Amino acid sequence: MSPFRDVLQRVREYDDLANISEIGRRYFAMNAFDGVLTIIGVLMGNLIAGVDKPQIVVSTGLTTCIAMGVSGLWGAYLTEAAERKRDLDELGRQTLTDLNDTRIGRASRVAVVIVAVIDGLSPFLAALIVLIPFFVAGLFPTITWVYYTSLGVALLTLFGLGLFLGYISRKNLFFYGVKTVIAGLISIVISFLLGA
Amino acid sequence: MGRVRRLVLDTLKPHEPDIIEVSERLSELPGISAVNISIYEMDRKVENAKITVEGENISYSHVLAIIEEMGGAVHSIDEVVAGKMIIDDAVTPQD
Repeated sequence: MSPFRDVLQRVREYDDLANISEIGRRYFAMNAFDGVLTIIGVLMGNLIAGVDKPQIVVSTGLTTCIAMGVSGLWGAYLTEAAERKRDLDELGRQTLTDLNDTRIGRASRVAVVIVAVIDGLSPFLAALIVLIPFFVAGLFPTITWVYYTSLGVALLTLFGLGLFLGYISRKNLFFYGVKTVIAGLISIVISFLLGA
Repeated sequence: MGRVRRLVLDTLKPHEPDIIEVSERLSELPGISAVNISIYEMDRKVENAKITVEGENISYSHVLAIIEEMGGAVHSIDEVVAGKMIIDDAVTPQD
């Protein structure tokens, strides 16, 4: 078996033992959703404040993305590590064995890393996608167009997340997409009313 | 040195990895021809398994290493058969 296949096989085994896929999907959806809504807040704040320089929106947006990424990565790493250690220790007490150097122990440690990376990357990338229009602001006639396009991208990203959730739960994809878009619209409307 | 031909172990293991995987790993060891694992008690997180291993030349240390790698623990060695062939325990009037 090639080394790559070996690694793939190992990851599949660890996934069976530590439920990495299920937790990963949950963290991905939850944190990407958070990331998009947070960046909608940043955009609306800048729009209402009358910020007309794309560089300012990019820097506030990027710093927010990085903060969300670090928060997600660090928070998930510490939380998952603590929870899984607790579970492993409890299982070890029941089997009267130190499970750290067993397949379960290794699966636990790999799960912590994978979940932390997903938790860090998902809000960062989701928010970054929404900011893309500001990186190419020169292509738009006015800054208002850039804002509206960005908000449109945000709602589209939310719709995509909803489709993903619908696919996982094997329910109506479109219905889930609409539900997640509504959250974005509520955020935009409330921010707009606060600004007015 | 005599060859161990049958081992019966009383073990405690977590539910995962399951007994299919444990038996596959054990059966791949050199000197082992067959593996039988049965669960006789189950808890919320762990299960008691009777592991029977037969072969031409069983290495207990290798079997133990696999069981421990899978997160299990050997509670007791319930039966051993060693020598040139496999024999069962003799029936006595006391039985």
